[in-house]
Amino acid sequence: MAGVLGRAAGVLAAPVAWAAALVDRPMRAWQNATGTNGMAAVFLAPNMLIFGVFVLFPLVINIAYSMTGGTALFLPDRTFVGAAQYERLLSCADYTDPKTCEEDQFWIAVRNTGVFVVFQVALMTVVAVVTALILNREIRGRSFWRAVFFFPVLLSPVVVGLIWRWILQRDGLLNAALFQLGFTPHVWLTDRFWAFAAAIGVSIWAHVGFYALIVLAGLQAIPKDLYEAAEMDGTKPGRVFWRITLPLLMPNLLVVIVLALIRAVQIFDEVFVLTGGGPGTSTMFLTQYIYEVGFASLLKNPGLASAASILMGGVLVVLTLVQLAVARRNEAKGKRQ
Amino acid sequence: MGQITLSGISKNFGAVQVLEGIDLDIRKGELVVFVGPSGCGKSTLLRLIAGLDKPTGGTIAIDGRDVTPVPAADRGLAMVFQSYALYPHMSVRQNMAFGLENAHLPRPEIDARIAEASRMLEIAKLLDRRPGQLSGGQRQRVAIGRAIVRNPTAFLLDEPLSNLDAELRVSMRAELAALHQRLGTTMVYVTHDQVEAMTLADRIVVLRAGRIEQVDTPLALFNAPANVFVAGFIGAPNMNFIQGVVRGPVEGGVAVTAFDGRVVPVDAAAGALAPGDAVTLGVRPHHLRRVGPDEGLPVTVHLVEALGAETVVHGRTAEGQRILAVLAGQEPLASGDVIALAFERRQTHAFDKDGLRVAGN
Ligand SMILES: Nc1ncnc2c1ncn2[C@@H]1O[C@H](COP(=O)(O)OP(=O)(O)O)[C@@H](O)[C@H]1O
Ligand SMILES: [Mg+2]
Repeated sequence: MAGVLGRAAGVLAAPVAWAAALVDRPMRAWQNATGTNGMAAVFLAPNMLIFGVFVLFPLVINIAYSMTGGTALFLPDRTFVGAAQYERLLSCADYTDPKTCEEDQFWIAVRNTGVFVVFQVALMTVVAVVTALILNREIRGRSFWRAVFFFPVLLSPVVVGLIWRWILQRDGLLNAALFQLGFTPHVWLTDRFWAFAAAIGVSIWAHVGFYALIVLAGLQAIPKDLYEAAEMDGTKPGRVFWRITLPLLMPNLLVVIVLALIRAVQIFDEVFVLTGGGPGTSTMFLTQYIYEVGFASLLKNPGLASAASILMGGVLVVLTLVQLAVARRNEAKGKRQ
Repeated sequence: MGQITLSGISKNFGAVQVLEGIDLDIRKGELVVFVGPSGCGKSTLLRLIAGLDKPTGGTIAIDGRDVTPVPAADRGLAMVFQSYALYPHMSVRQNMAFGLENAHLPRPEIDARIAEASRMLEIAKLLDRRPGQLSGGQRQRVAIGRAIVRNPTAFLLDEPLSNLDAELRVSMRAELAALHQRLGTTMVYVTHDQVEAMTLADRIVVLRAGRIEQVDTPLALFNAPANVFVAGFIGAPNMNFIQGVVRGPVEGGVAVTAFDGRVVPVDAAAGALAPGDAVTLGVRPHHLRRVGPDEGLPVTVHLVEALGAETVVHGRTAEGQRILAVLAGQEPLASGDVIALAFERRQTHAFDKDGLRVAGN
């Protein structure tokens, strides 16, 4: 057995050794030319190249687009308009009422996204904690249930949207079941309230497994003997949760909240497939607005879409900085203990 | 108050029997130490008393009341965990107050108890710190403080000193003994360290593989171990064991052939041993004396540990039997030297083929 493995390792090692010999000479030459520190640049180069082409370059182009006007697609054909697109997006007589804004669709999307973020993140956090608490128990088939809750995370958002449209549409699974049970079916996805609720519910269903996993990791990191100490101290179960579990879970909860926030602001694919933003504009969120203005509407306006995406990007940068600060704080806390 | 009675306690984890047939009466105010090798069930037994686990069989009574079905919180006991199990997000004060708040004690009473305990344990200056900002010794004190403020009927301590360095362990041991004197509360103390057991205990419970081997005062265990296991476990360094065969009766005991045909007389009750019986002789390293060349057992020295006040000699007899001797004072010995060792008849223990003690004082 060991002999076979050894031989296999030998066979595998041969091409590696050959490749190593091949790059040895140029690498040495490079190191002689640039010094040891210069080598870092060599190893970083491939990744920086990919990052540059697919992230940095589009970002710069996007900023450039946001300062141009017209419907032309290629940048050289477009006219420079300065901050006009931003002014158009931000001009409102009354910021609490989208109808008074020049670009009312943008503000409807902003308001929808805001409401969505608040409810989705709050609910997501609660559902993730409850799920993790249940999965952390000594239940029968625990690994199976953990897999069940994580499974939707692996699905493509489009598949998630399709599955739920299939369930919720007029002649869908839910209505069929209701009809069978003797209730009156309801057209869920054309009802403003239920369509929005479905957007929240479906996005939670699709992602909660991921956040529950983060919470579960936090739960398992709480030493068992703290619970035994609390038991000796005569602590009631509810108080154990509020005074021991929750405070010790805080670092993980902060991570969950910030990550969920970042993702909720970007919500698009599964809801777009599920409701198409409707009924009317009641489930149209920012990313969909940008997509439609830039690519899907009859009068494409890449400049306006770019400006809106830059504004949204700004919000995401702030959230990401918050996340990094949270991570750093957790790390510092971890070191202190 | 604080009498704990265990009757016929057994505990299984699944198919594995961890404790079996434990009968024990812990008296009011007593400091009882559970000692035994790692994995013998000490912690499990303590957790059963605490109520953190339920026994598979048997009953637990505290002050005459059967508490077997009573949850941990209502047994009036306090536990000090090996890991201290302090709540990391609470200050020392909050750690100590937590259990009292659960019991809805009035605030002035809580404050008074914390003040009293922190004065006693000299942790008054640490009250506003968190456990993460304390040294190991300070955390230990806080853990004890958290137990004291509860005013428990008994303290349960599971290897409380094992996370401290050697020096601190010795001083904390003395403090714990003083604390027990002062409070007069029953304490059940778990350790695998027999020195800790000997120094602290009123009575020691020696456990092995889920059974009680012997219960007695430290000196009684040392002088009259019930069997080979206790004899080997209690006392440092470990007792020397030598295999032998009974030859016949002598005045007040029997003669045993051991050491390459030498004959050793041991005290034994009449009828306990018959000629031809296999016996194990036990002699403590401190009971071996160095004598003139022809007056004792020749032992070849392999290793000498000169500790100043005493000299520890590792050696072998002519037949290859290992012998450990602790000689008083400083002996100029080197590896390879042959010395003669002798021991007193009254300090020689003998154990029958089942390991039970049949002779010795
Ligand atoms: N929760 C448990 N499940 C299964 N086996 C256990 C459990 N707790 C302890 N044991 C087993 O019981 C035996 C005694 O454990 P323990 O009481 O912790 O020993 P000690 O404290 O004397 O070192 C060990 O063999 C251990 O593996
Ligand atoms: Mg233990």
